[in-house]
Amino acid sequence: MRRLFTILVAITAIIAGAAVLQLKLAVQERADKVKAIAAQIHEDREAIRVLEAEWAYLTNPRALQDKSVRFLALMPPKAEQILEDPTTIPFRPRGVEAEEDPGVLLPARGEKKDDKAKPKAKKGTSL
Amino acid sequence: MRSASSYAGLSLEGQQKSALEVARNRLMVAVLLFFAAFAVMMVRTVELGLSTPEEVQVASRQIEVPAVQFSRADIRDRNGEVLATNLEGASLYANPQEIKDAHEAAVKLVSVLPDLSLAEVESKLASGRHFVWLKRKLSPREKWQVNALGIPAFYFQREEERVYPHGRLAAHTLGFVDVDGNGLGGVERYFNDRLADKSMIDQPIKLSLDTRVQYALTDELEAAMSAHQAIGAAGLVMDVNTGEVIAMVSLPDFDPNSVSGAGGQERFNRVTQGVYELGSTFKTFTFAAALDQGVATLNDGYDATKPIRIARFTINDDHPKSRYLTLPEIFAFSSNIGTAQMALDLGTERQQAFLSNIGLLQPSNIELPEVGAPLYPETWRKISTMTISYGHGIAVSPLQLASGISAMVNGGRLNAATVVENPDAWRTGKQVISQSTSRKIRQLLRLAVTKGTGGRADAVGYRIGGKTGTAEKAVAGGYDTRALISSFVGVYPMDDPRYVVFALLDEPRGTKETFGFRAGGWVAAPVVKNVVLRTAPLLGVAPKREDDGLYQQLAMMIEKD
Repeated sequence: MRRLFTILVAITAIIAGAAVLQLKLAVQERADKVKAIAAQIHEDREAIRVLEAEWAYLTNPRALQDKSVRFLALMPPKAEQILEDPTTIPFRPRGVEAEEDPGVLLPARGEKKDDKAKPKAKKGTSL
Repeated sequence: MRSASSYAGLSLEGQQKSALEVARNRLMVAVLLFFAAFAVMMVRTVELGLSTPEEVQVASRQIEVPAVQFSRADIRDRNGEVLATNLEGASLYANPQEIKDAHEAAVKLVSVLPDLSLAEVESKLASGRHFVWLKRKLSPREKWQVNALGIPAFYFQREEERVYPHGRLAAHTLGFVDVDGNGLGGVERYFNDRLADKSMIDQPIKLSLDTRVQYALTDELEAAMSAHQAIGAAGLVMDVNTGEVIAMVSLPDFDPNSVSGAGGQERFNRVTQGVYELGSTFKTFTFAAALDQGVATLNDGYDATKPIRIARFTINDDHPKSRYLTLPEIFAFSSNIGTAQMALDLGTERQQAFLSNIGLLQPSNIELPEVGAPLYPETWRKISTMTISYGHGIAVSPLQLASGISAMVNGGRLNAATVVENPDAWRTGKQVISQSTSRKIRQLLRLAVTKGTGGRADAVGYRIGGKTGTAEKAVAGGYDTRALISSFVGVYPMDDPRYVVFALLDEPRGTKETFGFRAGGWVAAPVVKNVVLRTAPLLGVAPKREDDGLYQQLAMMIEKD
């Protein structure tokens, strides 16, 4: 009885030891992963700075104007193309809003200012 | 180890028994203690294994992401667009000792960095030294290309570089930095300590500029400058209610990314540093002072039949009508004779006090180191009062003028001009004229466009009001009649003013399109019109049909002939 008990304790101790070691290794592995992710975040943040600057460079108004003139037939909007209040468009169904298209990404910061200035899109069809 | 029964047998006998008993009891206590400790540990282990980890524990475990190291904060525009940022650059150096074939390495390097000279690189690589600089400040792409060459003797030294992605755009406001990253002009210099402050490095400075408006103004001024072969141009868009500068252009300009080639002429900020006699735009202030202090009402008029001769000067009209003119007519037709007489009625002291009150006699407080002090006569004589009333004999910066005009139209509140985003600035304004005077000035400005000299600024739908200004350039000993400063200051929309737009051309020449004219109404007004047409949709000003009733009463007083 006593011997059995001793053996049981010894086995428990060995198992417990092994489990703790296992746990330690697992924790270490996780810690390494966290460190690697932190390093990745750091690298990404640096890359974001470079990309932001590059984005600003590539989308500067002069470059956009050049491209617009070269590839698009867009003209500056005339006063009569701009509506302050879309409800003044005749025969426009009221209360029916166009569904948001998740495929279209709009920068949040620009939205507020632009919505007032949106040219009347359906000029031809509504009249 | 003995069996337990032998202990039990011994325990029945004498003193020995009691000694063993004590020892055994003590042992049992120790054993029990150990068991208790192990039991606690087991229970705790099971508990830890079963329990879900507490939130607090996770949060308290700090995961440290090394911060991105850079030594100067960004500058952004009001929409968050990057105007100036620090990027990690790399400088290329080589250890020629490690190079076997200097010629081949040089040819390869020059193929990716074409601005290096082959002979020079080759001599450097063949020099046998341990260290030679090859090129400072490579772009990330160039660095990648050099790495792709796969030559082990090339090394990079990490360096930081201030980059202005928009190039020349808004260069005068931004300023520039030296090689060590110290601000040497514009906002870079004014906020140098703040930008380099380690504790605020990740908070960019947000300027009041709007890149899109800035570009529209630059583009239009450049076009006008080349069309009229002017030697310079300046322009400004300002929010009338807050004093925020939305766009500020001075031409010719420079590229802050490479300042070395730019001379004083390019670096000179004509909007804040340059002071000019701006001519008739000043009549707005004379009218505001006279109307506000009850010297004249809109129903009054002055005789403008013949030029005024005073001392050795003659005051003439550029658009002479040679008749009695009502006040609205004097403003719309820009009559110097009428305005000068009104200034005499106002008096020197009151004129001086008024101009000082709207900040035209002190340098502007804008957050830029390049600020010009206004020029005006030390002793303000009668002739000064008369000429200053129509903008001659006093030189102010376009920025001061725009601030003053803002106060005239926004209901009479003067706000300090600022280049830093500050939408609450209207709270700190100072009332300089009454609301009703401001309303009259709005009507006068609008009529100067619809009926007077500013007709070429009338952008359909945007209700622009404004005043032309044409002045001869002061040269040593008098005025140069061939060199003009032509300007136009516009405000829109006139029924609820939001923005002041100012355009100035330095020494413009007449063209076929302007029939040889080079006055403000011919060369500067169209610039303002185009800028308004391009930027009003961006700034959220909607075009609408004008309420003619607003101006009817005054319009009847203007007789076109």
